[in-house]
Amino acid sequence: MRTRVKLGVAVAAGLMLAGGQTMAKEYKVGVLLPFSGVYAGLGSHIENGFKLGLEHYGADLGSDSVTMVRSDTEAKPAASLSKAKKMVLQDKVDVLMGVVSSAVLGGMRDFVHNAGTPLIVANAGNDHMTGEKCSPNIIRVSFSNSQINRPVGTWLAKQGVKSAYLMAPDYAAGHQMMEAFKSTFTAAGGKIVGEAYPPLKGTKDYGPYITAAKAAQPDAIYTFFAGGAAITFVKQYHDFGVKKDIPLYGAGFLTSAAYVHVQGEAADGTVAALHYVPAIDTPENKKFQDAYQAAHGKTGSEFAVAGYDAAHLIVQAIKQADGDEEAFKAALSKVEFNGPRGPLRIDPATNNVVQNIYLFKNEFKDGKVVQTILDTIPDVQDAPNGCSM
Amino acid sequence: MRNLMSFRSTLAALTLIALLISWTNAGYFGMEILAEIAILALLAMSLDLLAGYTGLVSLGHAALFGCGAYAFAVFTAFWGWPPSLSMLAATLLTGLIALIVGSVVTRVQGIFFIMITLAIGEMGYELVFKTRALGGDDGLAGIPRLDLSAIGVDLNDPGVFALALILLVAVCYLLLKRLLASPYGAILVGLHDNAGRMRALGLPVQRYQTSIFAFSGAIAGFAGTLSAQHTMFISPQLLHWTTSGEVLVMGILGGLGTLVGPVIGAALITLLRHELSDLTDYWGLWLGVFLIIAVMGGKNGVVGWLEAGWNALTRRGETSKQSDRSKNDAAG
Repeated sequence: MRTRVKLGVAVAAGLMLAGGQTMAKEYKVGVLLPFSGVYAGLGSHIENGFKLGLEHYGADLGSDSVTMVRSDTEAKPAASLSKAKKMVLQDKVDVLMGVVSSAVLGGMRDFVHNAGTPLIVANAGNDHMTGEKCSPNIIRVSFSNSQINRPVGTWLAKQGVKSAYLMAPDYAAGHQMMEAFKSTFTAAGGKIVGEAYPPLKGTKDYGPYITAAKAAQPDAIYTFFAGGAAITFVKQYHDFGVKKDIPLYGAGFLTSAAYVHVQGEAADGTVAALHYVPAIDTPENKKFQDAYQAAHGKTGSEFAVAGYDAAHLIVQAIKQADGDEEAFKAALSKVEFNGPRGPLRIDPATNNVVQNIYLFKNEFKDGKVVQTILDTIPDVQDAPNGCSM
Repeated sequence: MRNLMSFRSTLAALTLIALLISWTNAGYFGMEILAEIAILALLAMSLDLLAGYTGLVSLGHAALFGCGAYAFAVFTAFWGWPPSLSMLAATLLTGLIALIVGSVVTRVQGIFFIMITLAIGEMGYELVFKTRALGGDDGLAGIPRLDLSAIGVDLNDPGVFALALILLVAVCYLLLKRLLASPYGAILVGLHDNAGRMRALGLPVQRYQTSIFAFSGAIAGFAGTLSAQHTMFISPQLLHWTTSGEVLVMGILGGLGTLVGPVIGAALITLLRHELSDLTDYWGLWLGVFLIIAVMGGKNGVVGWLEAGWNALTRRGETSKQSDRSKNDAAG
């Protein structure tokens, strides 16, 4: 009986909304994520987060509705570009969402810029895409490479760390992350005593690099590694026993919630910085984590959060647009809300997200890794870096 | 033999007609697919010269493809050369590089040849991947297309671009067919069938192998300049050995040593990939199953199957007396 009453109320409310809103619109979202290849895991995290976000925020859209078209980018630029073209030209999507690899984003950039269909970037962190190559149509809800690392340089110098040794895989993102850290760390009086860039693919043994870092006797090692490389690196760093002399710091992907349980004891003591940590204590994050864990049986990672917030962003823009396509596009870069990661807005100057960066510590207790937040650096915003819209 | 040649010519004509018909029906995205097919068909044909006709199976062909694309990008986007000159220069440069590489790799045969081409190809990939001036793994954008507006052709229109590529592939097919019908072509087939015997006949085997490696490389480089113009963005993925592998699979699926086979293979793989990946995340699995079915049975790919069917139809009851090239090809 009670459910029937509820249903009646819901229907009545729905009718009222429908009556009030004249222009009902079906919004088509083109989801461009890798579902095969090395990034397939990240692709599914983002998609799961995105679906959950639609569930949480898309329920009260009234007469408007959101549908999804999905495509496997294979994390290959050429294949992704043709998928993006298909979505825009054939499926006529209203907005694109996804993109894990920066190379894929680079491949799509000119097409998206000229086609006029907005793209919500849910991972790829290449600074240039919200810097010199920015576009009114490219809105990034995830992070930029320098956004995560820039605050850490200052923070670490403030903690009394005087010298650091840098280590990251030898590819564009690896260098961008290290450069960002280096710029603020040296500006705050820190010294870089050495750098090493092992090959991105195929490095199984970080021994020589760790040994070289130890020989340089820095106060700290600062790194960026992600995925399989992060797991291998953290384990080998632990096995080499360097930890007691030289602490390990890094961009938070080093001990991401997606795989820190695999690193286990090896991750103990590592301090990292990221735009999202599952330990954030807010009602929004609790709601997200509870629902995500109930649905997928594992902790929602920063990748899932990017998908979740992308959905939130799109839904907010739809609500503001009131059925008008141009208003929808304009609203995408003006949305502000509190997500699982805290307050979040899009910087109108670059279309990159403005968000908190969290410094967190991994501790191995009772057979599992506990992440605690040490410090929060609020509203980290990238400089325009040559971006003019 | 003559019968078989005319059968293949008919097949090539039918393939061209099929591509043109799909061109008239294609939407915007269809045009993209057709352009992709045309470029891969050209690349697969160039590999067929090596792998199918001469018996030199290379796993480094994509590096030459990528070399053409990157050279074109550097000439146009960095140095501001006109696209037409850049296409020519990039093709010649790739040919030159292939000549140098060819003179080294043709010193070894068989499995060693496969391995050394794989290794050199990967060197090219790593070089581009790590060269930050070339954008590293983020790739390079801002590549222009050939400007033919002087003769009233707008290549920035996807439909016009796709049609131009299809016609270009048809022209290249005819030229390559002419080349293969020449004494030079006969020597290539001889090298494929029995290199030792060709050497005994007094033929400078390695020099001929090097020449076809360079020529095939130049065509791959040319295809690379087209690919760069198609996507207007290039990344090191173009040079990766998996791209070489995919092109080889296209050749094997269509039928190596048939020239038209790789074109059919390129069309089939590209279409299947786009269609299947819309249906399932495990499209790779189904593509694999399809490949196994197509290759099983000892026929030389799709062309082999069609020829077998054609022979069965036309000479039912007769025993086949011809020294079947397709059987040799299947063995290669």
